[in-house]
Amino acid sequence: MARNKLYLLLLSACMAGYIWLIYNYNRVVSEGMEPGVCLIKRVTGIPCPSCGTTRSVLSVLHGDFTGALLWNPFGIIIVSILLIGPLWVFFDILLRRDSFYQFYVRTEFFLKRKWIAIPAILLVLLNWIWNLIKGL
Amino acid sequence: MEAQKVDMFIMTNAKYFESYQINGIRERLIAMDDSRWAMISTVQLKDPTISLIISILAGHFGIDRFILGDIGLGIAKLLTCGGLGIWTIIDWFLIMGATREKNMQKIQQLLY
Repeated sequence: MARNKLYLLLLSACMAGYIWLIYNYNRVVSEGMEPGVCLIKRVTGIPCPSCGTTRSVLSVLHGDFTGALLWNPFGIIIVSILLIGPLWVFFDILLRRDSFYQFYVRTEFFLKRKWIAIPAILLVLLNWIWNLIKGL
Repeated sequence: MEAQKVDMFIMTNAKYFESYQINGIRERLIAMDDSRWAMISTVQLKDPTISLIISILAGHFGIDRFILGDIGLGIAKLLTCGGLGIWTIIDWFLIMGATREKNMQKIQQLLY
């Protein structure tokens, strides 16, 4: 993937993420509703590995880090991407560099190794099992 | 390389590439040295139809993107419930083209 395409994708994804958070802020926090767009959950009734991420991110916004971990640990990763990603990309565009792109390519290469990939897959599966037990 | 050999390669592998790329590949192969035939004929290409099946069954978890080697996109898809379910549906239509694009990148390393 080329640098500009990656940056455009990341910025639009983060934008969509922020819009999603604003849309859900009142709905989830005050009325206690679920976001409820997950295809898997709508079709089969069981939560997917990333169900609860919106609620987790909203918990972080309220300063409740333990709550965020309990909802879904993925939320912490999403918060860090939402905070760091756009800033890093903006600085790269301003300074005409490609440090984020380099980082992305290196991370992709790193994650392709077997001794990283297999534990990561196991962690995702464990998180899924935890989600099933929690009944999100 | 002999035209007959090249045409056989094109016939068996045409489904792995975009139609507009096939002529270019054919010309490059004909201009190429015979000694590289072994490498070209054994290259592992990914089947677009299999990608589509994976995308329909497990696209929600980003498995289709992981298998293509787009780890970053796969993780993004996994973490966001398949892009809130929208990206999953978009990828049902994009994934075959993406697979052919990946195949082209792979064979380009051998051709040039």
